[in-house]
Amino acid sequence: MAANTSTNGSKSAEERAQARAPEMELIREAQAGSRVAFDTLVRQYEQQVLRLALHLTGSEHDAEDIYQEAFLKAYRYIGNFRFECSFYTWIYRIVTNLCLDQLRRRKTRREDHAVVLDRSGDEIDLLASVSDDRSFSNPAKELDRKFLGEKIQTALGKLTPRERMVFELKHYQGLRLRTIGEMLNTTEETAKNTLFRATKKLRAQLAELR
Amino acid sequence: MNCELAHERIVAAAYGELPDEQIHELERHMTGCPDCETEREQLLALKILSDAYPVVEPDANLIARSRIRLEEALDALPPRRWYERLGQRVINNFANLQAAPVAACLLLVVGAGVGTLGGYRFAQSRASRSVYSTVSAETSAPQAVPPSAPAEIANISSIVRQPNSEMVEVRYNQVVPQRMSGSLDDPAIRQLLMLASENSTSAGVRDDSVGLMAAECRLGHGCKGAGIRDALMVALRYDKNAGVRQKALQGLEPYVSEDVRVRDAVLEALLNDSDPRIRTAAINILEPVEADTSVRQVLYSVSNSDRNPHIRTVSRQVLNRVPEIQ
Repeated sequence: MAANTSTNGSKSAEERAQARAPEMELIREAQAGSRVAFDTLVRQYEQQVLRLALHLTGSEHDAEDIYQEAFLKAYRYIGNFRFECSFYTWIYRIVTNLCLDQLRRRKTRREDHAVVLDRSGDEIDLLASVSDDRSFSNPAKELDRKFLGEKIQTALGKLTPRERMVFELKHYQGLRLRTIGEMLNTTEETAKNTLFRATKKLRAQLAELR
Repeated sequence: MNCELAHERIVAAAYGELPDEQIHELERHMTGCPDCETEREQLLALKILSDAYPVVEPDANLIARSRIRLEEALDALPPRRWYERLGQRVINNFANLQAAPVAACLLLVVGAGVGTLGGYRFAQSRASRSVYSTVSAETSAPQAVPPSAPAEIANISSIVRQPNSEMVEVRYNQVVPQRMSGSLDDPAIRQLLMLASENSTSAGVRDDSVGLMAAECRLGHGCKGAGIRDALMVALRYDKNAGVRQKALQGLEPYVSEDVRVRDAVLEALLNDSDPRIRTAAINILEPVEADTSVRQVLYSVSNSDRNPHIRTVSRQVLNRVPEIQ
């Protein structure tokens, strides 16, 4: 995602507009009621939506629910889309709001998933997908890795939902602060300040690990 | 730059969000500030630690499950009714217009301007057409309909009497030039002649109209009632041109003895007119009225006080000649 962002950042406005032209046609068809067009849009964005929801919630079940709610909302309200922003920003706005609601509910229920769970409730080893070229290639190191991962998740869980969301979108999803501001319906400056607070809190939480 | 600001900019720089000029400024600060250098190192460590909780791509099973579930939910939604689709289309079109407020305002202003201009041009063209129809009427000599009211006439531009006839051509203006021909006995022609006598712009027109009316009155043609006689009295009292006043006086001569108003107008002219010829003519047409001493009084006054010696003499002669007056 970070690589995608840096690539998008180097494209000219004209190139981006041209690239969006087929998508605009799809959106218009979907607004006119074409299910096929909407399904095509879903396929274009479903992976990013699931990636974000999974990393934020740590649960496949919750990620599925967020996926379902997000695209049902998009289907219901696609008629209100005015092309004032990209469809990417619009759909992400829906997803981030649903994720924020989920994080707030967790805060209320005091749930704290230190590990990522799959649908059947089994723990997913996120670090298993990391390349063996890194230094975590022996069991001891893998344990350390797992421990670190849990610590990180715990520290992330102590952030406010908004701080968690900004840090997630900036650090893990690689979005620009201006885009994050649009998605969260705030300014770039506010997003920057939120990121600063989040990193400060995380550093305090993880000080013992340094 | 203070350290508090530097700490914020360290975070922005670490995530590639700091403008180039601020990076340079930050580097200069960092060179001399070990605390901020430590801050940067700690942030970089956090970034590395955070990567211990990496982002993973959703597996194919998760995607497939999610997609199937979504399709089932979409299939279960009731189809939108035609009025819901129509309403949405109307709202979208309205929203598109809302999204272009400047264009909408411009459209409104341009539309109002074009409408106003069009209306003005239309009214202008209608007025021009009436002018053109009048011009063509003049060249083909059809008669204009006489105006129903004096207010419709702007002014009288000329009066021409055909030789040896009672026919008179009067040119008058309403909003556009018109003309009319007819007999002096024609009430419409007489109305125009009376209007012409009040034409403030052309003494010639007034002279023609008053001369014609005076001639009619001297001939006894329809001057018994009000109208022409009143017009002649007005001309005698107020016209600035002595020739016009002279003709008016001549036209009123037959009515001095029978009409008190005419006698009074003549007496006023005898007392006040600036032209001695008119005052002399007024003396000559006065006839004694047995019951009216005003004539005697005026003649007596004029014979004593008029600035013109000739008029004093003439008035004295009349007084001497007409013992009834005395």
